[in-house]
Amino acid sequence: MLKSRKLQIVFALCLVFIMLVAVGCGGNEAPKEEPKQEAAKEEPKEEPKVEWPTKNIELVYHSKAGSGGDMFLRAMAKSLEEPMGKSIIVANKPGAAAMNAWKYVDDSSDGHTFLGVSSTLITSPILNNLPLDYTSFEPIAMMFVDPMILFVNAEAPWDTFEEFVEDAKANPGKYNIAGGIPGELGFVAGKLLQEASGIDINVVPFESGADAAVSVLGGHVDGAIGEYGEAVNQLDAGKLKILVAFNKIDGVDAPTVGDKGMDFVIEKFRGVVAPKGTPQEVIDAWVEGAQQAYDDPEFNQYWNNMKLVKTFRPGAEFIKVMEAQDAQIRKYMQ
Amino acid sequence: MLENLLAGADNVFNIASLAAIAFGVLWGIIGGMIPGINATIAMALLLPFTWGMEPTNAIMMLIGVYCGGEYGGSIPAILIGTPGTTAAAVTSLDGYPLHKQGKSGIALGTSLISSTLGGLLSAVILIFIAVPLASIAIKFGPAEYFGLAACGLTLVCSLGGRNVFKGILAGAIGVFIASIGYDPMNGIPRYTMGLINIADGFELISVMMGLFAISELVLQAEELTGDAKFSIQSNVDTRLPSWAIIKTFLPTAFFSGLIGVVIGAMPGVGASTACFVAYSEVKRWSKDGHTFGTGNLKGVAAPEASNNAVTGGALVPLLALGIPGSNSTAIMLGALMIFNIQPGPLLFQRSPEIPYAFFVALIVANICLFIMGYFIVKLAIKITSISKPILFACIIALVFTGAYAFSADTFDIFVTFIFGLLGYMMKKFGVPYTATVLGFVLGFIMEANLRRALLISKGDWIGGLFTSGLSTTLIVLAVVAFIATVYQNMKKPVDMDSIADDNNAKV
Repeated sequence: MLKSRKLQIVFALCLVFIMLVAVGCGGNEAPKEEPKQEAAKEEPKEEPKVEWPTKNIELVYHSKAGSGGDMFLRAMAKSLEEPMGKSIIVANKPGAAAMNAWKYVDDSSDGHTFLGVSSTLITSPILNNLPLDYTSFEPIAMMFVDPMILFVNAEAPWDTFEEFVEDAKANPGKYNIAGGIPGELGFVAGKLLQEASGIDINVVPFESGADAAVSVLGGHVDGAIGEYGEAVNQLDAGKLKILVAFNKIDGVDAPTVGDKGMDFVIEKFRGVVAPKGTPQEVIDAWVEGAQQAYDDPEFNQYWNNMKLVKTFRPGAEFIKVMEAQDAQIRKYMQ
Repeated sequence: MLENLLAGADNVFNIASLAAIAFGVLWGIIGGMIPGINATIAMALLLPFTWGMEPTNAIMMLIGVYCGGEYGGSIPAILIGTPGTTAAAVTSLDGYPLHKQGKSGIALGTSLISSTLGGLLSAVILIFIAVPLASIAIKFGPAEYFGLAACGLTLVCSLGGRNVFKGILAGAIGVFIASIGYDPMNGIPRYTMGLINIADGFELISVMMGLFAISELVLQAEELTGDAKFSIQSNVDTRLPSWAIIKTFLPTAFFSGLIGVVIGAMPGVGASTACFVAYSEVKRWSKDGHTFGTGNLKGVAAPEASNNAVTGGALVPLLALGIPGSNSTAIMLGALMIFNIQPGPLLFQRSPEIPYAFFVALIVANICLFIMGYFIVKLAIKITSISKPILFACIIALVFTGAYAFSADTFDIFVTFIFGLLGYMMKKFGVPYTATVLGFVLGFIMEANLRRALLISKGDWIGGLFTSGLSTTLIVLAVVAFIATVYQNMKKPVDMDSIADDNNAKV
């Protein structure tokens, strides 16, 4: 009896520790065998000069395993393994307003640690006055844009953006539009829209786009500025409608801010950066690998399902986007 | 509807799907039992393994994890006073005293039966009214959320035992802690003293584990002296509850399950809130409400039924609106989208067999939960045969590991420690730290939605808060409950009953 009781306790403890180990690994599955074999074949051909990568590549992200940005990065990492010739491991370093992840990459010196970034790289340093920001890293490439839209309830009286502008001009300050927290892109987009179209609307901060969409459905606010991906289910069902899109969305019949004669650009980006001092050859290898990753049919399907817009901007072009965004946010923070 | 249900059941009753659900439930229970790992994390850990699976099986497995995770937290909450998940914090209020009285088996059985019942109830409700329920969920705007949070917060008054102000004080501390971090309307950091580690506020799980687990361990360690040091608790009754006992909490479980379904259906609220609201309402309307907190079975049944009923409720905005209402459902939405299943009103029109398969899966998961829970409870109860110093050492290790595992940030280990000290002091002074957790959970919801409501109404309090019958009712209810509790408490002379209760609560 005693023996079996001990066995049971040991069994229970085993289960507990297996789970803890799983946590420790942050959801990284067993080592991947296939890419390594291919790597052995390809390496001598593709990179005769620079010995890189010599080991597995670590791609760090600032939010928890299972979050939207994390899942995107994991899908991208999978499709990058073949062109890069090594396993790519996504590591989650959440907390401290993303500083944990950024500092980790900034401090790394093994040449195989890189950082997945989103527009948080611009917003968080401004909001939290962080010692690191986008200029602390070497840009590799911007890969995607999360398209943003202005949407309203399908039963709203406006069918076009012009009708909305006309109404909003006649009733300044009357309409409540859900947007992000000041400093976030949803909020900045609202400010830019008001300035460019000359309307006065009340931008109400919501922490999540999902809550904002529900509030529009329930008629608690008149509309919302948010990611297309967060409203797409209700848009397709005809419960919501788009008045204007901030970014061009393939396959969606919606006018963009450019079509409506407003000349501002706001792009909620996703991309990859490297620590300062990374050799140009390594950056080039990344840029090339990233371009090849787009061709992976599985990854292709992933970003289509996630409603991301492919926007490839390597190096200097990526910096320009970040500089512009930094200026936009700083302008509307006060 | 019947043919949809049958088509859905067809998707569930095959070996692969059933195995996926069963594995998910087991994984979820174990995850839930470990402090620091909740249903969301347990799901996130499984995600990479689902990519090669049949899409519907993958989602069913996640549903299984969700159910198991919500239940699993109650086992350590009862046996070691350390809630495995934040929602189970409420369960430990009555569950842990029951264990100390030796009624461990009854408490664990009550939690298992109530969880299963709550889960089944939510699944059945979903099958009939998932779509109409979604339209109730969207009726909740900022003013209504504020009212709901205010209603829940009135519970702090009655948690203080004899002295209502101790409860209010503890609640106020919780609301204050919730205000640390970024300001939800301006985005500016508040009370962070330049510490970027708390720029996003404290993690609920590390705050809760500190207040509940660390403080309790320190207190208990104080009592370990002399020969008692290596003793084990000898009066443990491992028998599960009999039918006569089950009958006493069935109505409570049913009522709390309903609360869980409705609150679960509201985006952004979640299981912790559902547990607190269910506990508070059951306490308010029970004849033996004053014995809550000293080991009342209803105090175990209420939170457990409601946190498992949340699983069904949370599927409502996910499937019917295509909008995730919680972190757990956000992960499910991510999985659905990877497989190109687009939830929302169209899903019910185009391929209704998919949502109905999930509803049936939820029923199967709850039955699995009952069977597996039975064996796990039998196993877990053996923990009481470990001598206390060894047990305490293990729990401390587990709690700090859990705090780190949840956020992968070493800073949270210190947070847990600091809140452990705070909890210890509060216990010494008889200030109910449960009220602090309650204030922390609801404070943020209340503040953000109050300010949002006022922004929408351009600063008009009356017009902003009393926008609908629903918000008016909730706010009036909260105010009346608050005034009534304080009034009663101040009028009531100090009676021997409540002193006895207080002493019981401290032991």
